Amino acid sequence: MLSKSARKSLLYHPLVTVFTILMLYPVIWLIMSSFKPSNLIFATADSLIPKPWIWDNYAIGWKGIGGYTFGTFIGNTFVIVALATVGAVFSSAFIAFGFARLQFFGRSFWFAVMMATLMLPFEVVMVPQYILFSQLGWINTILPIVVPAWFGQAFFIFLIMQFIRTIPTELDEAAIIDGCGRFQLFARIILPLTMPALATATIFSFYWRWEDLLGPLLYLNRPKQYTVSLALKMFLDNETISNWGAMFAMSVVSLVPVVVVFFLAQKYIVEGISTSGLKA
Amino acid sequence: MRKTLLMTLVLLLALGLAACASGGRSDSGSSPSPSSSSPAASQAPSSSGPEPVTLRIAWWGSQPRHDYTLQVIEMYQQANPHVKIEPEYASWDDYWKRLAPQAAAGNLPDILQMDLSYITQYADNGQLEDLTPYLNKEIDVSDVSESALSGGRLGDKLYGFNLGVNALQVHYDPALLQKIGLDKLPDDWTWDTYLELGRKAKDAGLYFETGLRPEVFFAYYLRQNGQRLYSPDGTSLGYDNDQLFVDYFTRTRDMVLMGASPTPDVTAQIKGIEDDPLVKGQAISVWQWSNQYVGLQTAAGRPLEMHPLPGPNVKQGMFLKASMFFSIASNSKHKEEAAKFINFFINDIEANKLIKGDRGVPVAGKVKEALKPLLPPELQKVFEYIQWAEQNSSPADPPDPVGTAEIIALFKDLDDMMKFEQITPEEAAKRFREEANAILARNK
Amino acid sequence: MKARQLRNHLTGYVFISPFIIGFLAFTFIPICASLVLSFTDYNLFSPPRWAGLDNFQNLFSQDTKYWKSVRVTLTYVLFAVPLRLIFALLVAMLLNVPFRGIFVYRTLIYLPSIIGGSVAVAIMWRNLFGNEGIINLGLVFLGFDPVRWFGNPTAALWMLILLAVWQFGSSMLIFLAGLKNIPATYYEAASVDGAGPLRRFFRITLPLLSPVILFNLIMQTIAAFITFIPAYIITKGEGGPLDGTLLYPLYLFRKGFVFYHMGEASAMAWILLMVVALLTALLFATSRFWVYYESKGGS
Repeated sequence: MLSKSARKSLLYHPLVTVFTILMLYPVIWLIMSSFKPSNLIFATADSLIPKPWIWDNYAIGWKGIGGYTFGTFIGNTFVIVALATVGAVFSSAFIAFGFARLQFFGRSFWFAVMMATLMLPFEVVMVPQYILFSQLGWINTILPIVVPAWFGQAFFIFLIMQFIRTIPTELDEAAIIDGCGRFQLFARIILPLTMPALATATIFSFYWRWEDLLGPLLYLNRPKQYTVSLALKMFLDNETISNWGAMFAMSVVSLVPVVVVFFLAQKYIVEGISTSGLKA
Repeated sequence: MRKTLLMTLVLLLALGLAACASGGRSDSGSSPSPSSSSPAASQAPSSSGPEPVTLRIAWWGSQPRHDYTLQVIEMYQQANPHVKIEPEYASWDDYWKRLAPQAAAGNLPDILQMDLSYITQYADNGQLEDLTPYLNKEIDVSDVSESALSGGRLGDKLYGFNLGVNALQVHYDPALLQKIGLDKLPDDWTWDTYLELGRKAKDAGLYFETGLRPEVFFAYYLRQNGQRLYSPDGTSLGYDNDQLFVDYFTRTRDMVLMGASPTPDVTAQIKGIEDDPLVKGQAISVWQWSNQYVGLQTAAGRPLEMHPLPGPNVKQGMFLKASMFFSIASNSKHKEEAAKFINFFINDIEANKLIKGDRGVPVAGKVKEALKPLLPPELQKVFEYIQWAEQNSSPADPPDPVGTAEIIALFKDLDDMMKFEQITPEEAAKRFREEANAILARNK
Repeated sequence: MKARQLRNHLTGYVFISPFIIGFLAFTFIPICASLVLSFTDYNLFSPPRWAGLDNFQNLFSQDTKYWKSVRVTLTYVLFAVPLRLIFALLVAMLLNVPFRGIFVYRTLIYLPSIIGGSVAVAIMWRNLFGNEGIINLGLVFLGFDPVRWFGNPTAALWMLILLAVWQFGSSMLIFLAGLKNIPATYYEAASVDGAGPLRRFFRITLPLLSPVILFNLIMQTIAAFITFIPAYIITKGEGGPLDGTLLYPLYLFRKGFVFYHMGEASAMAWILLMVVALLTALLFATSRFWVYYESKGGS
């Protein structure tokens, strides 16, 4: 939409650069603080450059808590996030196909139910759900966090539904005439065409789960099972000195996988989204 | 119709909770998971030894506390090979967030750390085991004073075992104090002295104190005047004279208005000890508990001093507070073993050499004596202060009644409003009485 | 024919069966339980006691903080959502220029949103707005007075609003996708006809983007209503100063997990659900007046 005239591009770059820096300032602050000694972080909050510059926070932070290194926590988180994401994305795609492409009695009803689950804050169902999982004996396992993801997640279902709707139905009809069953239609034709949506869902699922605190807090009681978000919280304490340096350092470390995943997949998101569009 | 619905609901939930508590779990409180008691069961080294047992223990704290507690646990496991202890630990607010659903599901850890502000809630609802039968059996209390024990008593039952004793103190920086012309705080100082020193501090460009928590220090003030904050049965306030409220809060508000104490927005931005105005050299004193002294001095990186609170009637006002307790969950399947661990924690000298009074000054006399010479000087000061306090206090208030959390929130709201000059202390006194009584009335 | 139709219905159900099973297994009972709980007096430790409509009555007529939290939340939503969407759209347009390094800008600008709800971010944000924090320094530099962000209830709420706006990345991405979907030919034709940039924006961009705007509007509104973690961490769980940042979910949490009035907390949750559902339905209903679906022809 913006014209590409030479004059515009002279203004353009400085403008966008300044804006980007402003946006990123807090993040840069976070990273720089991780190289400052804990007791100086807030005292020298105004100056970005650490004086002195120390690497200790990373070493100390990595040592982790209670004998478990941060490597353990990152590993735990990775397992949970990977399992949950794979489950969430594929099940949501499966379900989305049902809502988007198939006509059946009660479809609007179940669609409304699904949308309703989006609007419920987690705290509401937290206690009853905990009791439920406790009776199943799932406490202290990752099951309460991972298993529900395999039954679809409303946000992704809705997102993928919108994508599927942009695929012309003629494609479906052609496939059926050729003898495709519904399931093959889904797996062979629709699914590949919704790759961009799947990539988007994967990214969102990844970084939402990576930072999830409440689930692990409730269901993982043993430090050796802790995830990154829980472990980071452990560095802080009101009663004694919080180890800000270590916390910031490990926060930075824990953000790296998320950023990497985004970087790799962002191509699919934007280029991909555009080809199918989000028109309802 | 409503009654049958209610009965059905209660029945369903009771069934649910009962099934929860008894169903499918053969070992104590912990749920079946890969790392549960099966390894312990398959160990069974001695043929005539006691049955293997798994205990869950939970506590709150920060890194240092987690580290030494794990070491103490290891020590106990070595001495008692049939016991395996699974630790669960978290920071303060995460700890309580996690505990509540566990209680609702009948799934509390065998040994849980408890605090005065929560113990009533948990005990009243049958979540905690009465420890009285274990005294002088699994738990040796020959060396523990009754007043130390009493902190965990509700009525005639003992719901939590005192892990360490605390008392109120004023922690101050003598170097900063010198800036207002004093070498140390006056011995017989009063609340009027407090205001005077505040003025001097403000003139020297310093805060005198960093804020006094109302629920703690107003309660102390009431005690000085022969009153109590809560009535004995916890269903209403324990004082009638609102003038006491007005006096106390006018004073603390004036300190803020004259600039000798930080405004609420400054306090809201304090992230932790390292951010404390005293540590940053902006305030002369911090008013808090004795077990926080060492942490403050470490953060400040310079020598501090401690001093009792202002009078008159210091002895009447002062009390020994149990800093925290270990309680045993009623849903525990191994209560005797749990009690034995608590006994170890309290009485074992080697273990306490690791604990070093982090959870308060130990309650067992022998432990205190054995420990004191081995401690760094600042901790010795704390021990000595507690010894002094033992002689200079009167019986502590019973544990806080249910609804305390709301009252603390109410205190904060009113305190902030007074400090922002949105209401007068007189109005606040009335509002406090009304709303606090309403909250406490739910306990009837 | 009938057998065929039956099979179609069944197939449909097969596909959405995972959702139904998961819903029934993990969500349905807890949701029902929480609905029932909202009519009880429940402190988590003893069995619930039936209380009828007491909770709702209490919230509406006796609990002053309740209405405060409603006002605070509505203010928050009213400002955070439009600001976020407007920013997202503007930046999306800015980044819609095709040149090789553009993905760098996109990633960098999207970064704040990814690091989203973490504890470190909230703490860092709180620090930026300290009395001597960088924001105040900037204000002074530009000639304004510093703001007592933590001392003024309105200012404190704006801390939260600004945090929400700062993390506009997800909306931006979706807008970007929507923008890319508008064929360049439309713009070219318009230019040829002599339409200036403003005209092009209002006549082409907005209408063709409207389905995306609807999606973002609904999603962001829902998200804004259930915002919890930033408020919790930035105000140390208290909603201060003077309840200026007491967002509804935060008050709900305090009621349930700090004061142990789970019955009232459940009641609050259901009220929220009703309101948000109503609002969403309203947005959908009014959408036919301003949303243009190309596939269905003009509006």
